[in-house]
Amino acid sequence: MPGSEEPGADRALVERAARGDREAFGLLVRRHQDRVFNVAYQVVRNREDALDVAQDAFVKAFASLPSFKGEASFSTWTHRIVVNLAIDCLRRRRRAGPTEYDDRKAAPEEGEARLAAPDDPQSALETRQIRSILARGIEALPPLHRAVLILREVEGLSYEEIARAVGCSLGTVMSRLFHARRKLQKVMEPNLDDLR
Amino acid sequence: MAHWLHRLGGRGRRLAAYAAGELPPAERSSVEIALAACPVCRREVEACRLASLALRKSSRVGLTAEEAAAFLPEVNRRIDHGQVRATRPARPDLREILWDHPRLGLASAFAAALMIVGLTLSQWGPFVTTPGNGVEVVSVDVDEDGSVMVFEAPGSTLKVIWVFENSSS
Repeated sequence: MPGSEEPGADRALVERAARGDREAFGLLVRRHQDRVFNVAYQVVRNREDALDVAQDAFVKAFASLPSFKGEASFSTWTHRIVVNLAIDCLRRRRRAGPTEYDDRKAAPEEGEARLAAPDDPQSALETRQIRSILARGIEALPPLHRAVLILREVEGLSYEEIARAVGCSLGTVMSRLFHARRKLQKVMEPNLDDLR
Repeated sequence: MAHWLHRLGGRGRRLAAYAAGELPPAERSSVEIALAACPVCRREVEACRLASLALRKSSRVGLTAEEAAAFLPEVNRRIDHGQVRATRPARPDLREILWDHPRLGLASAFAAALMIVGLTLSQWGPFVTTPGNGVEVVSVDVDEDGSVMVFEAPGSTLKVIWVFENSSS
């Protein structure tokens, strides 16, 4: 989550990396790779594409470091890069043709280090059921709405940070978030009784 | 009797904001009072909360140990080979634009209907009071506050201006 990392330490590494220090850049990559991958994955919902997008995001970040002014944190800045690349990837993929969402393929157990893993089978089933319903709802969202929702709900960014990350106004963020939440709510509602 | 939340505009927006804990305290307590008497609203809030909770608690996906180990070397390889992709960003498709600007969709549908009516009437000379070929859209201007469309009948000085104000801005 942004803010929970050390922005001061990031700043020093960013300054060194901007001068071409690859070791400092490597430390930045190690520090942020999981978060960047997670954001990419949440938007593109495909492990292979997410890995490619996340790596491209760091390559792009490295190339743009000399122009990074430090007005936003490195975290917010990389959010902007990864979200735009992920949206781009999703648009290209959608144009190439529809893909079927596979819950098992999309979220392999070994990759979900931080996923709550309930001990009893009933809870595990419910978690899987909720995740599957949710995935269908997320799949139906347009790329930008998906990105805004993920940045808010999963990454915990403020509206201002999201606006900076996706390059739109606060009003647009609120509107996209509302539509995305509404859509998910409509997907979840018919299943509420089963999930109680 | 319909509940006040149903009668007010922005009910869905208010409930979604309440479920996300983003309503100011004064509004929150009035929504809570209303919720006590509205099972439909309570269900919507519950669905919103469940979606949000599921997103927050179970959606983080991390790299596997193997992927994590190979991540930086691959980034370095791409940097060394100058593999910064220079492809042009993909443009949003029409569906995506209309999601963001629903009023633009309505305006476009209205303009299309207006043009069809105008062209149809222009075939029946006696009913048309102005010469020309129906109605033209002179300009469309869209921004975050809404959209403005200007229509004109060719050969006439009459212009029709439609202003769609975006309620979310």
